[in-house]
Amino acid sequence: MPPELAARRERRPFTAHLVGQNIGLLLVFALLAAAVLLYCVFFWIRQQSLPGNFELTSTVNNTMPLAMAAIGQTIVVLTRGLDLSVGGIIDLTNALAAVQIQDNAGSMLAWTAVVLLVGAALGLVNGLLVGVGRLQPIVVTLATLSIFQGLAIRVLPQPGGAIPPSYTAALVDPNNPWALLYLGLCVLLWLAFRRSALGVAIFAIGNDEGAARANGIKVVQGKVIAYTLSGVFAAAGGLFLAATATAGDATSGNGFTLSSIVAVVLGGVNLFGGRGSAVGAIAGAFVTTMIVNILFFSEIDPLYQSFYEGLFLIIAVVVGAVLGRLLRRRR
Amino acid sequence: MARFSRVHLGRDRRRTLYALIAAILLFVVGEFVHPGFAGLDSVEAILTIASFVGLVAAGQTFVVLIGGIDLSVPWVLNGAAILLVILSLGEDGRALYALLLTLGMGAGIGLLNGVGVAFLEVPAVVITLAMNGIMEGLTLGLSGGLTCAACASYAPPVVQRAVHEPIFGVPAELFLWLAVIVIVSFVLGRTRFGRHTYAIGNNARASYLAGVGVRFTTVLLYALSGLFSALAGILLVGFGGQASLGMGTPYLFQSIAAVVIGGVYILGGRGSYLGAAAGAASLTALVSVLLAMNMPDYGRSIIYGVVILVLLLLYGREEGEG
Repeated sequence: MPPELAARRERRPFTAHLVGQNIGLLLVFALLAAAVLLYCVFFWIRQQSLPGNFELTSTVNNTMPLAMAAIGQTIVVLTRGLDLSVGGIIDLTNALAAVQIQDNAGSMLAWTAVVLLVGAALGLVNGLLVGVGRLQPIVVTLATLSIFQGLAIRVLPQPGGAIPPSYTAALVDPNNPWALLYLGLCVLLWLAFRRSALGVAIFAIGNDEGAARANGIKVVQGKVIAYTLSGVFAAAGGLFLAATATAGDATSGNGFTLSSIVAVVLGGVNLFGGRGSAVGAIAGAFVTTMIVNILFFSEIDPLYQSFYEGLFLIIAVVVGAVLGRLLRRRR
Repeated sequence: MARFSRVHLGRDRRRTLYALIAAILLFVVGEFVHPGFAGLDSVEAILTIASFVGLVAAGQTFVVLIGGIDLSVPWVLNGAAILLVILSLGEDGRALYALLLTLGMGAGIGLLNGVGVAFLEVPAVVITLAMNGIMEGLTLGLSGGLTCAACASYAPPVVQRAVHEPIFGVPAELFLWLAVIVIVSFVLGRTRFGRHTYAIGNNARASYLAGVGVRFTTVLLYALSGLFSALAGILLVGFGGQASLGMGTPYLFQSIAAVVIGGVYILGGRGSYLGAAAGAASLTALVSVLLAMNMPDYGRSIIYGVVILVLLLLYGREEGEG
């Protein structure tokens, strides 16, 4: 922009600035509101009542694994990376949990910690390969996805194992949406992370790696930590998945690679890095679940489910891009 | 000193050579594990299976060369396979019409991917992922989960012959693949379109300023990727006789792996289809050796991943030396 134009430009009012900065977040909450409304309409038509505690609880519980995976994916995407191994980490941690967790508090706590550590270790492998090895995230995590999936089947060859009911109750209470508390905790952690030195570093790396390095940010360290965190959150997703299903399946995590990317994109996180929020990704995960719920109640043949998911993804991305462009032009 | 001796052979050719040597070594190893593995029949069978990966990898090479990726492979391939049998009903008389429509469907879906990437500026990962979902839903929904009456049809005999018929004792499919290798290599290496592709992969902005039709070329490349996925689907039905659900799923990982093994740079601008084809051959040879060793599924998938990581690390080192 020529200097005279820049000088003439007025400072945008505070609210406009806020809207402009958080357009992705606003869009995903609008989308979520629309999805909930549509769901209520279909629910009313079918049941002549509004969805209640039971529907809320099952929606929350079903979304927990995806929400966790989406938080991890967000952190990696912010560094301008991509973690395709999320599905494999969920497979492996889910299988581990189902095989190992016994029905006593000590075992539950110990194995929860071990599983999260395993997730961290798997993520660390990705991080070292991407950060220190300077390899392409997509290919690295595609390769580790294959390795993790193989390991998962080694741990649990056939679906099975068992999760103690008390563990399920602690993570995803089937009667009340207490799992929302975990999400609240994650949002608080996110807000702290966003303002921490590490958070600033990760956003900086995604915006301009060279400039970040020139300004003294430890780029390699930041990337390694980002992938490690993604591994931890994917492992948490594996635990929630095992708790919801009350058993393990070494292939049930596979779909989360794609759906975590869908949730992140719906949540307004920029795939080119440096912009976005885990809060948006969590909302994106809920939109994904709501789409499935709506399709169920609207009597659309479930065979078409992927079609609508793909369609909504494209619409969300295109609308987001067009709105973003309009806003930028108006400035 | 090592650097001087390498000057004579460009990096791309060297990697193609590595992939070919790997394939040959694997056949030798296979012969030890399972006598007869490197026999003519066995080699032909393995190369035929490799050719399907190779065809998908041709499309994948096109888009990876401009730094893109095509994740819509699995269901474009699967959709094409099912569309072919439904349209042709296993009759030769309807084969031409079915083939044209099926290839058109593949190219059309690829075209939409390309429009999304080039004009709507949606990241390639997102648009092709979404398109894969759309194709999955449409394929499952329209065929009623492959329960429709026409779904059980066989591929037209002419398509089956195009795969199986021996020419001088070699399955026709291999000649088809050879033709594709020659044509794609020519297009990429000797035409304006090919040079534009490499230019965009190296620097899209500079190419645009130099007058390259970046958007047009991008759309065309994605359309080609869709076309090759559909072609692979058609030939796979010809190979197996009937279509099935999920038949495209392995080809996403394998096509990307073949491209990487063959030394095509995943950020674009460097690499050749000959390398990717050699990558497809060595990948399939590796799978076959592991099968011959009675390696269980999980072991294969671990080794897959490890091999790709090791190659990436080796290539990365080379890059650093260069």
